[in-house]
Amino acid sequence: MTATLTPHPSPPATRRAEWGGFLRTLHAEWTKFRTVRGWVLAMAGALLSTIVVGLLGTAAPAPGGRGADSASYPRGPGGEAVNDSFYFVHKTLTGDGTLTVPLRSLTGMADTGTTGKTVQSTQPWAKAGIIVKESLTQGSPYAAVMATGGHGVRMQYDYTRDAAGPSGMPSEESPRWLRLVRAGDSLTGFASTDGSHWTEVGHTKLPGLARTVQAGLFATSPEAKQDTAAGTGFNPAVATGTFDRPVLSGGWSEGAWRGTQVGGDAGTSGSYSNALKGGFAQTDGGGFTVTGAGDIAPVVGGPVMGVGFSVENFLVGTFAGLIVVIAVGTVFITGEYRRGLLRTTMAATPLRGRVLGAKALVAGGGAFAIGLVAAAITLPIGERSARGRGFLVFPVTSATEVRVMVGTGLLWAAAAVLALGVGALLRRSGTAVALVIASIVLPFLLAASGVLPPSVSEWLLRVTPAAGFAIQQTLPQYAQVLSVYEPSTGYYPLPPWAGLAVLCGYAALAFGLAVVRLRGRDV
Amino acid sequence: MSDESAKATIEVIGLRKRFGPRLALDGMTFAVRPGRVTGFVGPNGAGKSTTMRVILGLDAAEEGRALVGGVPYRTLRRPLRHLGALLDASAFQPSRTARNHLLWLAYSQGVSPRRVDEVIEQAGLGTAARRKAGGFSLGMRQRLGIAAALLGDPPVVMLDEPFNGLDPDGIMWMRGFLAELARQGRAVLVSSHLMSELEDTADHLVVIGRGRVVADTSVSELLAEASGGRVALRTSAPPLATRVLHGAGATVLATGPDTVEVTGLPDEEIVALLARNGVPFSQVSAHRATLEEAYMELTRDAVEYRGIPAGEAAR
Amino acid sequence: MSLPSGVRPASTADGGWVGDFGRALRAEWTKLRTAGDMGRLLLLAVALTVAVGCGTAKAVKCPDVGCGQDVVRLALTGVTVGQAVIAVFAVLAVSGEYGTGMIRTTLAAVPNRTTVLTAKAAILTTVVLASGTAAVLASLLAGRYILPGNGFTEAHDYASLSLAEGPTLRAAVGSVLYLVLIALLGLGVATAVREAATAIGIVLGLLYLFPVVTRVVNDPEWQRHLQQISPMTAGLSIQATIHLDELPIGPWAGLGVLAVWAAAALLVGGLLLHRRDA
Repeated sequence: MTATLTPHPSPPATRRAEWGGFLRTLHAEWTKFRTVRGWVLAMAGALLSTIVVGLLGTAAPAPGGRGADSASYPRGPGGEAVNDSFYFVHKTLTGDGTLTVPLRSLTGMADTGTTGKTVQSTQPWAKAGIIVKESLTQGSPYAAVMATGGHGVRMQYDYTRDAAGPSGMPSEESPRWLRLVRAGDSLTGFASTDGSHWTEVGHTKLPGLARTVQAGLFATSPEAKQDTAAGTGFNPAVATGTFDRPVLSGGWSEGAWRGTQVGGDAGTSGSYSNALKGGFAQTDGGGFTVTGAGDIAPVVGGPVMGVGFSVENFLVGTFAGLIVVIAVGTVFITGEYRRGLLRTTMAATPLRGRVLGAKALVAGGGAFAIGLVAAAITLPIGERSARGRGFLVFPVTSATEVRVMVGTGLLWAAAAVLALGVGALLRRSGTAVALVIASIVLPFLLAASGVLPPSVSEWLLRVTPAAGFAIQQTLPQYAQVLSVYEPSTGYYPLPPWAGLAVLCGYAALAFGLAVVRLRGRDV
Repeated sequence: MSDESAKATIEVIGLRKRFGPRLALDGMTFAVRPGRVTGFVGPNGAGKSTTMRVILGLDAAEEGRALVGGVPYRTLRRPLRHLGALLDASAFQPSRTARNHLLWLAYSQGVSPRRVDEVIEQAGLGTAARRKAGGFSLGMRQRLGIAAALLGDPPVVMLDEPFNGLDPDGIMWMRGFLAELARQGRAVLVSSHLMSELEDTADHLVVIGRGRVVADTSVSELLAEASGGRVALRTSAPPLATRVLHGAGATVLATGPDTVEVTGLPDEEIVALLARNGVPFSQVSAHRATLEEAYMELTRDAVEYRGIPAGEAAR
Repeated sequence: MSLPSGVRPASTADGGWVGDFGRALRAEWTKLRTAGDMGRLLLLAVALTVAVGCGTAKAVKCPDVGCGQDVVRLALTGVTVGQAVIAVFAVLAVSGEYGTGMIRTTLAAVPNRTTVLTAKAAILTTVVLASGTAAVLASLLAGRYILPGNGFTEAHDYASLSLAEGPTLRAAVGSVLYLVLIALLGLGVATAVREAATAIGIVLGLLYLFPVVTRVVNDPEWQRHLQQISPMTAGLSIQATIHLDELPIGPWAGLGVLAVWAAAALLVGGLLLHRRDA
């Protein structure tokens, strides 16, 4: 009996008592949520629609009757998807050695899009130069020094790394001397304008580089990007490097120079045509002209990605699920207004901020769980199914995959809290649902449609709640690969977590305003 | 009987309806006649609102018919001119003013907007009519509902729980109002789950339980029935009184040390008998059952003896 | 069913179906007119359509190399945003009644479900027709003034926007009709599902999901089919004035697709309204 007479903790209540109070409110809100059958069914529906829409959206049969599992991107030493297609005039080098060659010119030809017509045009990232590569297998480690069509002399290695050297294009009057020195697993690139004064362009170690490697001259060119009336198009293009006689020192084989199209074709970012073919010819003075298409670079999104899927493509159903989650999040609060239940709720828990907080935690937590599960189910199934039908799937690291899954959950959670906040502010479910859906999905659609100029699209995806979709982006962007890095090709202007933070900011703002408003208003 | 049913303005014949496994209406049959207030009573969940919704064509019954003036409601062209109903006092959009709510209803019936102002006065809404209805008290909402029901000047008025939420003044007003409607010759059907609300209002009662009619009777008949001719007697000599009354054919039951209950003799005869035989007594009173008691009795029966057909239970 | 459908009213002195319908129309109009924020929603729809149209027209430049932009479509981009408000407007016209229980009052006053739904549809059509026309005309007018400043000049083969040109007129009239059909789609869905949040979720999902999914579909044939059945993409093809042969579906046929969606929604809504207890 005495126990019941213990006085209530007098205000200010202890932190622990408040925490207990919050847990009780949370439990109450959770019970409210899970006992409305429609909401539970809707959440299940969100899960299901995300999976179904995602899988159906990516269910198209592979083009050209490509066999199952026949296609995958070559992987670079870092596991990333790479293009490794170029015309290679090579010899075997065993142990240490040096290759020096003057590059007389780098020229290019490009298809104009109209049948068979070609024009003289050197692509900015057309490449001609010298390379040391572990093997002829795509994706094997390499280091190369090259002249480019528009970015001067570069040293590039292992696909993603790029170092700038002297600028300017080689020509008959002022050729570029290129030199690559191998010492063990260390490679150093040099450039010179006269063959006697050398500048170091770059230096790297390729750990574990085989003792016997292939080395020689190469040329390659990605497709020509053309801005036409109908949008951005890419046309076949080749690059031709004109080399003087190469000078070798070290453990070079005695055999003749051999020409190989590495990769067999020009990869996803380059292409040959009937008029533009790869090959090499020896000139009178022991020099070479080498012509090739393709690229030695990481694969990026956009048209240069080829016929393939990126991981985020499988999550297209996120939109369907998101719409459901938004509707449920809104009704979770507006339903209380409509039925006058809110008065009962407030009578039970007079701390209004606490009620809203508990609601946000329940709605957000539920949405997070469902979003996470939906992504975790859809991704592996979608990837396996697409590969099985012969599609390329852009590979990502496990960490990225986890980020996308967790990010999808967080995206949903933020959307649910945003919906809850807007619902509490407007108190009208219809208007609130429309506002939240439109503010999240519409900017995305407008930005992705390609109607707006990229600058406006990117601005839309920076300042609207649609920025949150950035968390799903897995496509990388590299300065040394020319593509269309725009919202219409799946590139968000903000990094993943920053984009999500924008959405979370909106959710926090709506939630905060709702708390202030709910405190100040009669229910 | 046939004469009367011809004048019937609401006829409900053998309605049957299920909500899932629950039988909401189980052969509901009754008629509402003009010129009197018919109370429609039964415990919560007995089927009052469902019946009214079926009458209005809002819900469809699986079996049976509900007729207004001899035809189904849904075939009426300007139904509010035949039947005015108040089902849910809050069935309006809160952002609209009361007057505008009545206005659109009036247009739907081809009723002139002047009539809107008339019913606003009649229902006592007054200046509140130009305010948003969402801010109305329950009593004002009821008045707005009443005004809507009267809009088409219908010969039949049907009100679901009109006393709910009314203050004592409002209840008094509502009673007078209903009586006035009946006096004008209208048929008035008023539902309630509390018999006491109808005690001074209804002329006739339809008592229902578990989706069927338990009693269809006038208020006075029901009271007489419930009272059962019992007379309470207070006497200092109960054994003597018992012997005397028993000899005259009455049933006597001791209810206390100096009180007995007599059945089978009217109270004036009891007084004469006792006086003639010199039995001392201090009080003789005919037991008058309240409507509430009668109702409790009836609805308890409805619960306990579900198997009895409505025709036998009703008189 | 307790109500024999063959029963006709005893008296036809009330003025026949036309009279019934007229009264229902008047009632629905009064309801819409006095509903408070309906006018504001329509204003918002017009304002958003014009504002987004202006913004797009301001943002898109035509460089000297030329551009493949469809200026009419550009000026009418706002319709993609305005339609959301119109959809909300249409949904609220019904779900507002269900949410408050007023639908029972409505059906008691006008027991014929077809009459109620038809009257609602007619009023919505009229109202959206009016506001849609205002929005489209204002958008085109704004485009007419803004676009030449961005390089859309005669030098680049762009005439200034004028309704005197057939394709422009088609795009303008079609955009208004598009908004009307969106409203009818919203009306049908809302009548079917009753609840505002659900109805709006469904309508916006129908509109927005197709284009989102179309983006990731890799097969051109599938992509084209998706665009052909998508209410928004197909419907908005009515705005195209150039490169008509490159459209997945022709302008009027595309609007027809949306009309089919709207009709299907109204049919389902109407059937449920008939079948269901109110």
